[in-house]
Amino acid sequence: MMAAASEGGRAPILLFADIDEPGLNTLEVYERRGGYQSLRKALAMTPEEVLEQLKASGIRGRGGAGFAMGTKVSFLPKGSMDKYLVCNADESEPGTFKDRELMQKTPHTLIEGLIIASYAAGTNRSFIYIRGEYELQADMLDAALHEARAAGYVGENILDSGHSLSLVVHRGAGAYICGEETGLLDSLEGKRGNPRLKPPFPALQGLYQGPTLINNVETLATVPAILAMGGDEYAKLGVETSTGTKLVSVSGHVQRPGNYEIELGIPSREIIYGLAGGPPEGREVKCWFPGGSSSPVLKAEDLDVPYDFNSLAQAGTMLGSGAIIVVDDSTPILDVAMKVAKFYRHESCGKCTPCREGTNWTVKMLERIDAGEATPMDLEVMASVQEHIIGNCLCVLGDAMAMPIGSMIAKFKDEFEAHMEERRLSHA
Amino acid sequence: MSTPEEILRGAQNLELEAAEEGTRPRPVRRFAHGSRVPGWDEAVDLEKDPAGIPDPALTPVPSELRAEIEAHMANYPDRRSAALPALAAAQRVHGWCSPEAIEQVACVMRVTPAYLESVASFYDMLETSPVGRHSVYVCTNISCSLCGADELYAALAAAAAAGDGGDEINVRSFECLGACDIAPMASVDGVYVGPLSVADVPQLLADVHAGRPVLPDKQLARRLVADPHANTREFPEHPAEQAARPGGA
Amino acid sequence: MPRPEPRTITFTIDGREVQAPENAMLVDAAKLGDVEIPVFCYEPKLGQPVGACRMCLVEIEGIPKLQTGCSTPVKDGMVVYTQSQRVQTAQQSVVEFLLINHPLDCPVCDKGGECPLQDITFGWGGAISRYIEPKRHFVKPLELSPLIAIDRERCILCYRCVRFSQEVAEDYQLVLLERGAHSYVSTFDGHPYVAPFSGNIIELCPVGALTSRPYRFRARPWDIEGAGSVCTLCPAQCNVTITVRDERALRVLQRDNSEVDDGWLCDKGRFAYQSFHVDERVIEPLVRDGGQLRPVSWERALSAAAAGLKRAGAHTGALAGGGTTNEEGLLLARLLRERLGSPHLDSRRAGSLPLGLLRALNEPQLQAKVSDLEFAHAVLVLDAEPVNDAPILDLRLRKGVRRQHMKLAVASPNASLLDANAALSVRYAPGAGALFATALNGALSDDPNVEQLAREAGAEPEAVRELAALLSGSDSDGDGGPADSADGNAPAREIVIVWGERLTAGPNAAAGAIALLGLADSLGMAGADGAGLLEVPAFANGRGLREAGVLPNAGPGLSEPSAVAGETDGGSPARDARAIAEGLTAGELSALYLLHCDPQRELPDRELWERALAGASTVIAHTSFLTDALREHADVVFPAEAYAEKEGTVVHPDGRLQRLRPAIARPGEVRAEWRVLVELALRLGHDLDVLSATMASQRLFDAVPFYAGLTLEEIGGRGVRWQERAAAAAYPTPATSDEPEGPSAAAVQPPEDAADLDGYHSVWDAPEVEHSPALEFLFPRRNGAGESVLPLSYVGGEPA
Repeated sequence: MMAAASEGGRAPILLFADIDEPGLNTLEVYERRGGYQSLRKALAMTPEEVLEQLKASGIRGRGGAGFAMGTKVSFLPKGSMDKYLVCNADESEPGTFKDRELMQKTPHTLIEGLIIASYAAGTNRSFIYIRGEYELQADMLDAALHEARAAGYVGENILDSGHSLSLVVHRGAGAYICGEETGLLDSLEGKRGNPRLKPPFPALQGLYQGPTLINNVETLATVPAILAMGGDEYAKLGVETSTGTKLVSVSGHVQRPGNYEIELGIPSREIIYGLAGGPPEGREVKCWFPGGSSSPVLKAEDLDVPYDFNSLAQAGTMLGSGAIIVVDDSTPILDVAMKVAKFYRHESCGKCTPCREGTNWTVKMLERIDAGEATPMDLEVMASVQEHIIGNCLCVLGDAMAMPIGSMIAKFKDEFEAHMEERRLSHA
Repeated sequence: MSTPEEILRGAQNLELEAAEEGTRPRPVRRFAHGSRVPGWDEAVDLEKDPAGIPDPALTPVPSELRAEIEAHMANYPDRRSAALPALAAAQRVHGWCSPEAIEQVACVMRVTPAYLESVASFYDMLETSPVGRHSVYVCTNISCSLCGADELYAALAAAAAAGDGGDEINVRSFECLGACDIAPMASVDGVYVGPLSVADVPQLLADVHAGRPVLPDKQLARRLVADPHANTREFPEHPAEQAARPGGA
Repeated sequence: MPRPEPRTITFTIDGREVQAPENAMLVDAAKLGDVEIPVFCYEPKLGQPVGACRMCLVEIEGIPKLQTGCSTPVKDGMVVYTQSQRVQTAQQSVVEFLLINHPLDCPVCDKGGECPLQDITFGWGGAISRYIEPKRHFVKPLELSPLIAIDRERCILCYRCVRFSQEVAEDYQLVLLERGAHSYVSTFDGHPYVAPFSGNIIELCPVGALTSRPYRFRARPWDIEGAGSVCTLCPAQCNVTITVRDERALRVLQRDNSEVDDGWLCDKGRFAYQSFHVDERVIEPLVRDGGQLRPVSWERALSAAAAGLKRAGAHTGALAGGGTTNEEGLLLARLLRERLGSPHLDSRRAGSLPLGLLRALNEPQLQAKVSDLEFAHAVLVLDAEPVNDAPILDLRLRKGVRRQHMKLAVASPNASLLDANAALSVRYAPGAGALFATALNGALSDDPNVEQLAREAGAEPEAVRELAALLSGSDSDGDGGPADSADGNAPAREIVIVWGERLTAGPNAAAGAIALLGLADSLGMAGADGAGLLEVPAFANGRGLREAGVLPNAGPGLSEPSAVAGETDGGSPARDARAIAEGLTAGELSALYLLHCDPQRELPDRELWERALAGASTVIAHTSFLTDALREHADVVFPAEAYAEKEGTVVHPDGRLQRLRPAIARPGEVRAEWRVLVELALRLGHDLDVLSATMASQRLFDAVPFYAGLTLEEIGGRGVRWQERAAAAAYPTPATSDEPEGPSAAAVQPPEDAADLDGYHSVWDAPEVEHSPALEFLFPRRNGAGESVLPLSYVGGEPA
């Protein structure tokens, strides 16, 4: 199957099918292409039946954590309290830009998926939290929402099903941490986007203290396809623990950067070389981030790891948001580490100690290495600081820096030491 | 009687002079090294009244801004949720989240200005000091910098500062803007353009100054998906913006 | 609402089995097993844990990641390790992270020696730091307010101070700005952090980042002592610890008593200690001589006072206010009644209440406790503004709304600072409190005249009905109270009414009291445990003075006043405060004895009092400060003790007897005031038979039947509510159980005739505030109506 995928016998394209068709962002073209049929189908079923389809599909969250979506929906308590569905469109993980393409080109897919999910979860209020930088995409969503409302897909008593849903597109204002689900909730409540302590988990106490389901754009946008083909059929795609297709954003040192819809489980080499064209002529892959800049790096020798949740976890890293960043041998590892560390320092919310101080300290140590003022002992201190961050923070942002930095120190120790020595001599 | 700042500055100068004479190793400049944070050195003005929720009678708010904020507030079960859109609206009116802008939002939202200041200073896109009218965010995160974003940013910042009307352009190096497929790239007044090279800088600035669509050929909105299997047919290059902006629809 | 009653569970910590209440946070539960888990950000008084500092990481069996002990509720059978290698490494690393940018300038830090960061570094930190980069250095300290200095280098961003501002005081003035390592505590655009409770952040700060400007560099922890007492600068009577060095009060700290203050202090209570030691304080006896008050010996002052009182005899009036103790009040009453034959004494601001009503309002089963404010189903604040009348209650009400979902209703003539938290706010015409209460009672009992009554009170009839519905629980939006429960035999709703003394003052005093009693009856307060009335008296020890018998119409223990001894005032009826003023003006009274009271400043009708003071032939005053009226009119001034110098008891508005203990020595010639009163009586030939402060207290416990058997030891450091003791059974029953005077008997005056208009007196408008240099800036402004109040903007409230 994997081989077949690379030779034209590819798995079906579910999300990107004819995505560049002019006008697909409008209701007219979207409906002409069969849009909102999945919604009609879902509304003819009971919410429990829809939920069964989602569970059967085995789809795991596409935002980063990879939690089974159906299970997540079933965590919401039953009852008449105010419940919320929030779409996490704060796509900020460096290297990730898949949701952007979806929202810009086929916003109705997201809206349709969101309505179906709200029906299954029994929520009547929903928000799409989109990062403020995505102005074009937010405008596209707003326009599509306007059409959907006018067509009766969003609002009171949708298509006479008795299900009602309000939907608001909420624009962020530039903070990576708002992609963390509880930081997002605080931000949506109009506060600083500081993550909250968990438990309580959002499914029980989330937005405005009500039960809240939070899903990524791609996850929700896949829902109409799941309903259309049936959960069991969808589950046949991909591999057992990672079903379905996945949008992968490939960037960095590759010849054809961009988004690709792949079937989970194909070799990573297939994506980096086969689809994205690999590094420029004459250069070699030095390392690559398989799931955004917060995933521990892999080296060229790991290129044959199958690209799915479990295989990557076994390789000591993660699929994350599905963003592959390729670094070739022309770039010093220190530069990569510095970019990553500075990013997380900038984006640390400052609430918890290890992340706030640890990211800051790491940057200073890296700068010292670059300034020729470091010794190999500093590398040990730096590695130990990463260990002290991992697992000890309020949310995963600290880990998101410490894991890749830790992996770089472990895998490129020699290069760090050589860099250190070279700088030390040149500054002496 | 000198102020504490003057005393400290004096002490610092003495230290520096001593260092220059070679009598002592050169000390780290007390307030000059890299981790200085704006605001940390500022005391309050004891002459001012405490900042409660602004009095509507004393806080004129442009009626359009008021209407926009109120419309946002109506979108949410809790009015505070409107803080980000309301601040963004005020920033469009005032150019930045000035104390005056924040007081106006606070007055309409019935919250304290400190609450809004706290929120505004948390988010990168809300400016808490005066900036140029046009924003040029250059992504300098990892994927873009692998493709030369740092040089691009340096060139843009230098060219903007050197050119006429440089103070109208707010060139910032920004964290990942989510467009690594067009690396290195920039968001010019919200419009994504890329891949850019240093050679594009003059045209980019000229477009901004002239109020033209910036580098139309390099706008993300026109870019087709990279996946060769996605489209079963040939489609024309994606038309920009598709009249989708609200109001333009 | 029912208070939570957790069951006890057993868990294991560091190999030891410990019993703890279920769902207590691990850091609290661990203490029960003598295990300390270090914390910085955790402070239950601030609300839900935030888990920010990560200092309290512990290992729990079955959970792979370390957990924060501050936010993990303890469960039966939980196995916790706080000493494992993993935990120790994590704790050391958190300390190392925190010290990265901390300047370690402990030798010159006020917090040094009493600093949680020092202690935790000592106990849980590593011995070395591996951080060799330069630390941040900034200008410091900086002013955050006239009271507080901020040192941002030392800040460890624990969030306590901003949480206080946002979640306790709810003024939202103090915030974090910027993000990540750049975050810092600040205010909006350089505005100072000025709010009634701002000083609490100094005590909350676990490092030396927030320091008290008046206390900076005044002492080191090893040369100070703490002395517990009770602040009597307002009726809230918060428990305090006074920091003493060389017999001077240098600082006032909270002494957490959840039944009184919940561990907070207002800025007046925290900083007015400065007034103990200022030059303006009167510290020697003064006698008017040639038109001027001049320092004299005690001998001369006492004889002058005795002579004046002797001349006036039964034509003496007396007022006790401020922080007068129960004992002083009793001695004053005895001096007047037993020796001078005068029944003219008062401790209420504006007019007396018939004894029957007074007794009915103070009936033990009708009295609410402070903690009831938090757990009641609903609280009505009626004709009171807590921030101005008894500040700390404001925080308690906010807490009830925020944490227990208590429903708050506010009924007042002006915009209230609590409006934003109230489920319902109702306005009525100034001075129409009694009318309003009557209307509300009508609405509760379906009186057809509600409409009419409400209009007379200047209130919207609809609002009155809504309020009645909210209190009775018949409003549509359920609050989880018993009214919503389906089983029918629901327990009574717990409703508390916090009311200001002014509701039962002036011409409509009786009507106000009758309406209150009606409300208590309609709402079933007598039968409900956490329900009742809570009066906010005008004077700090108003309740105690009344119970000691400083009233024209009641003796100790609200007894029928005994017939006065000796020469009498021709049998003229006992005069209340206002009648005393009228008597002085008309020449029917000639002497005035003032115990901690400047009537011209604190009582309504300034002009009347000006004339009264001018008309008095002898004015004797115990005071710490010469206010304008006293400087002009007092003939004898006895230097008064500050509360930190006093020994005696006071009674909290909810009936809690609290004990004042001398923390510092009396300055100059100041003498114990009970002794001055006893001495004065002796000079008038009357032995009050009190030789010590303890004896004075004993006399009080003997005189008030429902205090019977009390001892100072029993009162102790936490106080004791007399209603909860067996002796409460001796409380005198109201003359007639039901409607003492009948509602129709009390003619309700229209508001424009009600007299309380010009007399709104805030606790912030006090000589102690005026004469504390640090608080000078806070001295309230007078609003247009001549009322002296804190400007609303000081507390982040909604402007009217």
